Amino acid sequence: MKAIYALYVKPAQVQRAVDDLEAAGIADAQIEIVSSEPFEQYAFGQRDHETWMPWFAVTGAVIGFSAIYALMNYAQQAWPLNTGGMPILAVYPVVVPLFEMTMLGAVLATVATLVVTARLGRGGGLYDPEVSDGKILVGVTNPSESDIPAIERSLAPAQIKRIQ
Amino acid sequence: MQEEQVQQSEQNEGYRWGMAVDLDRCTGCEACVTACHAENNIPTVGAEQASGGRTLHWMRIERYFEGEFPDVQAKFRPVFCQQCDNAPCEPVCPTYASHHTEEGLNAQVYNRCIGTRYCANACPYNVRFFNFYNPEWEKPLHLQLNPDVSVREVGVMEKCTFCIQRINTAKIDAKANDETIQDGSLQTACVQSCTANALVFGNLNDPESEVSRLARSPRGSKLLDDLGTEPSVTYLNRETWHESGSR
Amino acid sequence: MNPEADRRMTEDFLRPLLHTTWKFYVAVAFFGSIVLAGFATWGYQIYTGIGIAGINSPVFWGFYLVNFVFWIGISHAGTLISAILRLVNATWRRPITRCAEAITAFALMIGAMFPLIHLGRVWLFYWLLPYPSQRGLWPNFRSPLVWDFFAITTYLLSSLLFLLLPMIPDFALVRDKTTGIRSRIYGLLSFGWRGTPKHWHRLESGMHIMAIVILPIAVSVHTVVSFDFSMAVVPMWHSTIFGPYFVTGAIFSGIAALIIAMALLRRLLHLEYYLRPIHFQNMGKLLVTMSLLWGYFVFNERLTVWYGNESHETGVFWATQAGDYAPFFWTMVIVNFVVPIVLVGIRRFRTITGTVIASCGVVVGMWLERFLIIIPSLSYKQLSYMWGSYAPTWAELTIMAATFAGIALLFLLFSKFVPIISIWELKVGDQPKIETDQPLADAEAEGELA
Repeated sequence: MKAIYALYVKPAQVQRAVDDLEAAGIADAQIEIVSSEPFEQYAFGQRDHETWMPWFAVTGAVIGFSAIYALMNYAQQAWPLNTGGMPILAVYPVVVPLFEMTMLGAVLATVATLVVTARLGRGGGLYDPEVSDGKILVGVTNPSESDIPAIERSLAPAQIKRIQ
Repeated sequence: MQEEQVQQSEQNEGYRWGMAVDLDRCTGCEACVTACHAENNIPTVGAEQASGGRTLHWMRIERYFEGEFPDVQAKFRPVFCQQCDNAPCEPVCPTYASHHTEEGLNAQVYNRCIGTRYCANACPYNVRFFNFYNPEWEKPLHLQLNPDVSVREVGVMEKCTFCIQRINTAKIDAKANDETIQDGSLQTACVQSCTANALVFGNLNDPESEVSRLARSPRGSKLLDDLGTEPSVTYLNRETWHESGSR
Repeated sequence: MNPEADRRMTEDFLRPLLHTTWKFYVAVAFFGSIVLAGFATWGYQIYTGIGIAGINSPVFWGFYLVNFVFWIGISHAGTLISAILRLVNATWRRPITRCAEAITAFALMIGAMFPLIHLGRVWLFYWLLPYPSQRGLWPNFRSPLVWDFFAITTYLLSSLLFLLLPMIPDFALVRDKTTGIRSRIYGLLSFGWRGTPKHWHRLESGMHIMAIVILPIAVSVHTVVSFDFSMAVVPMWHSTIFGPYFVTGAIFSGIAALIIAMALLRRLLHLEYYLRPIHFQNMGKLLVTMSLLWGYFVFNERLTVWYGNESHETGVFWATQAGDYAPFFWTMVIVNFVVPIVLVGIRRFRTITGTVIASCGVVVGMWLERFLIIIPSLSYKQLSYMWGSYAPTWAELTIMAATFAGIALLFLLFSKFVPIISIWELKVGDQPKIETDQPLADAEAEGELA
């Protein structure tokens, strides 16, 4: 992976660099920002904000509910034990497992969605250990040769670093 | 719900086992307790454990005193598993070790028990017992174990079964002869040993059986009836228990 | 944001991870040996039989179940503090969320062991799990113990994930700040975290959803624990108040445990700058609120039983009010109700020391509460001929001591391997506020190019 990037101290500088890069016609997908804390108050911190995660959580909940209901239904009908005239599959007593497995479904779906959509665990990507000191990284991955002067101009006056 | 239950029990064409205990006849001799121990391989735990409340008596004689000295009267009440229709011990068992049979018994599957002891806490009659250690019989007592009854290991609940081994034997014999079990021909160990004939065992589905007749007696009542457990055991008593000694 | 502050923070929180003194090893050896003694006792109990515990007929549930309810109760600290404060966006939560979530996870792990420890035949514990067997036998879904299994499994998994997710960015920080094998291990734990806006948004949405979901789970868990008792027709167990009563008590004891843990960490890891008196004051106010709520529930429970004067229940009632168990009951009332209100309710006493003393009292009092719920009811059931009593044995006491040593050990190790305060969340808390209407204009004004 080829990349050009610079490290900034203040988020306002980052915002300006990102704005300049966008003005220079660099595709959003190429611009990478890496920080050691979220910056919700800045426009660059709002990138990639949209997510379907709540709906995946609901889907997980529905799956959890259906799975445990099916299991309880099957398990209690498969060997219908005499329960002193009580119904074999009663409503109240199964509410607790139904509720718990619904919630567990939602939790697991949320975490799975988080790991998959944030592409965690894949490794790679533009990074510099100095980010851990509070610096904010702005860079462009795989820039086309023609864009390089514009990118360098946008990232200036911070020190430009390159990955060949 | 309850009516539905009673109907179901009455419609059941097979047996529904029940017991009647005549408190006016009981002398408190505890022959039934001894017979029960012998029949069902119930271990004795020794003085030290017994003083810690770990005896296993599937059947016990509760002794109550009424009145002030010197006008004191002792009253006896044999208590054993009431084989409830609506048993508190059954739904709480996580593994179905405690479950209901078609003949109205609260069965305890020893092999399925993992020893949560929940059933014993839920039982208002305190008639379920727990094996805190592996049972031991001093030699040569181990030779008198009943081969029809399994010996329970450590960590397992046990309780009165209405001598289910005798019930099963009688059912097999009756089936072989193509007849039903005659009233009075099948007795549990405690009934058999009761010298005062205070205990009567039989089929509650047969309206002519002696136990059915006694269950309908105006002297009859159920133990802790207000809890709604629908026991299969009827206690017969001329006067209520809580009238303290005033004759 | 501010590199100087960031660096100091990083240093403060990584110091326990990078430097280890002999005191740490001594403490680990001390608590570790107690935990080992607990495991040895359990092993001996499995070998000889559960008879080495003090339980008997009719008190079939003893200290093991008391400790089970107690530890599950303690575990409610994390959910309340972390999830509620996260949802209402209370900024003062930032330094204490991880500590709270860790208490939840560890207390649950310990609490969840007790149903196993108390089993008569623990080697067959898997019969409680719903797994397909060749005999077609499934667990009884009507049993509150099976509900317990579902509730605790769900709560344990969710609270572990709730604890682990916000640790990922901090693992990435440790990865960058260390070298060699340690850096590689933290690199694996950090899941390739970089910190792009996408990472941050997904993490925050995930935490938000988890916070919403985990609150009803936490409420349900202690309600289900209370169902273990209230489903049985046992005097003073069979009560509709038990669900909310248990949840309140759980949160109450959880807050107390969290205050104690915060005070210890503050002292031992020198976090005075981050865990300030304001945190103890706010937590103290929560403690008093829960104390009042708890007192209200106890009053309700007791008054209805006394007024109803139902013959089965009076035995239990008077045993706790004026009989064998009365000293425990009145101690509980004093340390759970009187002491917190005096020490935290009165401003002059609401110091860190005062709050911690009140919290220690509450932990003791809530333990006694669980004891008073379980033991007297079993001792005085319906048939007075079978009334009994209970005293713990060395086995139960050893295992109980091992659980307290266990949570200390888990916390020691946790603070050795994980930054005990969520560094990235603290950094966010330090960001200066800018007007959300005009973010760019303000940002321009503030940030001249360096």
